[in-house]
Amino acid sequence: MKKIIENLGYKFILYEVEYQRKNLTFVTVDKENTVQLLAYLRDYEGFKHFVLMTAVDWIEDGLFQITYILNNPKKKIDLAIRTKILREKAKMTTAHHLWNQVATYQRELKEMFGIDFPGSPRVNESFILEGWDNIPPMRRDFDTKKYAEETYFPRLGRGTNDPSEYMKQKLYPNE
Amino acid sequence: MSSIKDILTPFTAWKNVFKEPVTVKYPLTERPGAPRYRGFHKNDVQTCIGCGTCESICENEAIDMVAVAGFEAKDGDSGLRPKVDYGRCCWCALCVDVCTTGSLCLSNEYTWVDTDPDNFRFIPGVDEKSWDKNELGWKKPEGDYEFYGLKRVEMGELEPDERNHSFIEMIKGYSKQQAEKEADRCVECGICTATCPAHMGIPEYIKAIRNNDLEEGLRILYDTNPLPEICGRICTHKCESVCSVGHRGEPLSIRWLKRYIADQNPSEKYRAILETENLQKNGKKVAIIGAGASGLSAAHYLVKMGYEIEIFEKLSEAGGMMRYGIPEYRLPYDQIDKDINYILSLGVKIHYNVNVGKDITLKKMSEDFDAVFAGTGLHLGRSTCVEGTDHKHVYQSIELLRKITGGEEIHVAEKIVVIGGGNVAMDIARSLARLQKIKYGKVQVITTSLETEEKMPADREEVIEAREEMATVNPGWSPQRIEIVDGKIKGLHVVQCLSLFDETGKFNPQCNLDNKNFFEGDMIVESIGQGMDLSYITEDIKDHLEMGPRGRIRVNDNFQTSVPWLFMGGDTIQGPDVIHGIANGHKAALGIDKFLIEK
Ligand SMILES: Cc1cc2nc3c(=O)[nH]c(=O)nc-3n(C[C@H](O)[C@H](O)[C@H](O)COP(=O)(O)OP(=O)(O)OC[C@H]3O[C@@H](n4cnc5c(N)ncnc54)[C@H](O)[C@@H]3O)c2cc1C
Ligand code: SF4
Ligand code: SF4
Repeated sequence: MKKIIENLGYKFILYEVEYQRKNLTFVTVDKENTVQLLAYLRDYEGFKHFVLMTAVDWIEDGLFQITYILNNPKKKIDLAIRTKILREKAKMTTAHHLWNQVATYQRELKEMFGIDFPGSPRVNESFILEGWDNIPPMRRDFDTKKYAEETYFPRLGRGTNDPSEYMKQKLYPNE
Repeated sequence: MSSIKDILTPFTAWKNVFKEPVTVKYPLTERPGAPRYRGFHKNDVQTCIGCGTCESICENEAIDMVAVAGFEAKDGDSGLRPKVDYGRCCWCALCVDVCTTGSLCLSNEYTWVDTDPDNFRFIPGVDEKSWDKNELGWKKPEGDYEFYGLKRVEMGELEPDERNHSFIEMIKGYSKQQAEKEADRCVECGICTATCPAHMGIPEYIKAIRNNDLEEGLRILYDTNPLPEICGRICTHKCESVCSVGHRGEPLSIRWLKRYIADQNPSEKYRAILETENLQKNGKKVAIIGAGASGLSAAHYLVKMGYEIEIFEKLSEAGGMMRYGIPEYRLPYDQIDKDINYILSLGVKIHYNVNVGKDITLKKMSEDFDAVFAGTGLHLGRSTCVEGTDHKHVYQSIELLRKITGGEEIHVAEKIVVIGGGNVAMDIARSLARLQKIKYGKVQVITTSLETEEKMPADREEVIEAREEMATVNPGWSPQRIEIVDGKIKGLHVVQCLSLFDETGKFNPQCNLDNKNFFEGDMIVESIGQGMDLSYITEDIKDHLEMGPRGRIRVNDNFQTSVPWLFMGGDTIQGPDVIHGIANGHKAALGIDKFLIEK
């Protein structure tokens, strides 16, 4: 793994390298270099298998982090590539031409975080949230609790107690 | 017509029979969740305190707090336990990470088939599940991150050498920034409210600090406590002993936060903030005996309800033991005055230097007023009665404290022995240490008690601070006699005390007479508890009073005695501490109102 990262360092600027465990390393790069780097890893370093891609909302910093996880089936190691993009009008270069299934992940990220991947097939079609009428639900400014309260009815027979009120009823009902 | 190929095709499937299957057999026994997989909940219900913080954090409203057979509400435990609805749970584990006791975790079990959807709502740890014994799964990682601070915001206090020669207040109080940071640690569970004798709205006023709405904070304080400057400094703060955050970290500094709210509101604005500028009178009069914690509290709530209130106080100033017992370095007089002056500003009258029973009879009061509340406290010192206690340099702590706090000069010897292991003993020892430091430049006070160090009733911090101020605390000894030579006290003879109570729980100290000790001193102070003086209750009234256990007068839930116009509260009934007095006074006020409306 060290060797691969070292090689990578000659070709790309790597910001952070985190050796999570023997078979998993996280690397942070610029968004301009990300897709190139993915192609390089696939074609020259044996990371032929695309595992997944996902995002994190760093709302305080005004950034989204996108993470791509690749697998090298021969060496049985994973490499995760992280990059950060602006949260406002969030947009990222598409990587669907490298692995077909990337298009599906990108469609999901468009729906869940509102990150656009121009040129990615069917990226604007709804993925699982048909008829969604709110801000993308994985954004941290989406109030899940409020939405759940307003949208779903509680299962029949459910009921709760406020601990402090309950203690009053049980311990000092007349005070 | 079918071709020969169609006929043979089904048989070609047979060739796959002996191949290894691609799909995995059910049940998925070979596919356990990863070691930190977030599967179904587990809860150690004996450790859980039912604080409901897991419920509050759940974004999906998947948790209900429900009553469980065998778990009763008690101090520090609501008796409720979380019930999870798996129709809503998204396995985020926020509930686990926030859990105040660390009782909740997720097992790594994730497969479960059932035909009844209602079975997917269950109480982890109560409803038995196959994964209850799974060790693996998600537990909050220790030390990695915390959802709320586990450490208290430190309170500034004077260093021992800054405070040991004066009576200046030693606790400095929180700044705005410190108070807000401390308030931020509260998870708003409200577990503390039941334990507070006055059931103060603790999470509500802590929230007011977070919102920087200190006027709202003050209103919340006065709902249940009209002496917040005082309680914000010297309350026995039982609430902190049950604070949920205290299970994994340090409990909230509830007392200092209360003080912060009171300190920040200027007295001139109290009546406007508390909306007491236009109180309507109802034409009825109530007399109160004693301007201590309970009397002042009753006066406050009654005057707000429209009653005309007159307090009869034996001493020349109001406050009772809060002024004449608790030393100034813990409770400065201007703070006592701030609380009391506000109550007086509502129209409460105090007749000072009136000793009820001597200067006016209780009978007369019952004729002049619609009802009477008595909160006369515990003001008689108790003596060990060992040989020598009749010497003139043997004192009662309660009398000395009354003189010190009243600004009178007292006899301060170079070497002093204090008998007693409670907070009052620490107060007198620390006061005498200050006076010795001022007079002689050095401290030679020793306190001793029957109880050993672990069993001493004094608060730990009092003992620590006394030692910081160079007083010696040497517990575990039983006083035998005071050595007097040529009319002068030489010291106290003691023997080792082995135990205080016998098997029946009766006070019956056992000593090892062979293990002797002698504490040198030329002045002895006894501080072994106080008794009540109820001589103002004359025989004709007493005849109608029902007595309760331990020689106390029996009162009902409204603090009404069996003589209907006479209500009693404070140290003579409960406690002894200020907050019980306040709670008693409040309840008695409501009881008096009820009594007079029904009359
Ligand atoms: C040294 C010391 C330290 C203490 N420290 C703390 C502490 O840190 N925290 C805490 O919570 N509590 C503390 N306490 C206890 C606390 O002060 C009392 O519990 C509280 O003041 C009780 O209130 P009360 O209304 O019952 O009586 P008191 O406050 O004692 O007031 C009774 C009043 O009635 C008056 N009175 C009595 N008899 C008559 C009469 N016949 N006629 C007219 N007036 C009369 C008295 O003069 C007095 O003013 C301490 C007590 C002492 C002695
Ligand atoms: S947060 Fe923890 S202690 Fe509190 S109710 Fe939930 S499981 Fe129990
Ligand atoms: S002070 Fe402690 S016990 Fe009280 S509400 Fe806050 S966290 Fe809960």
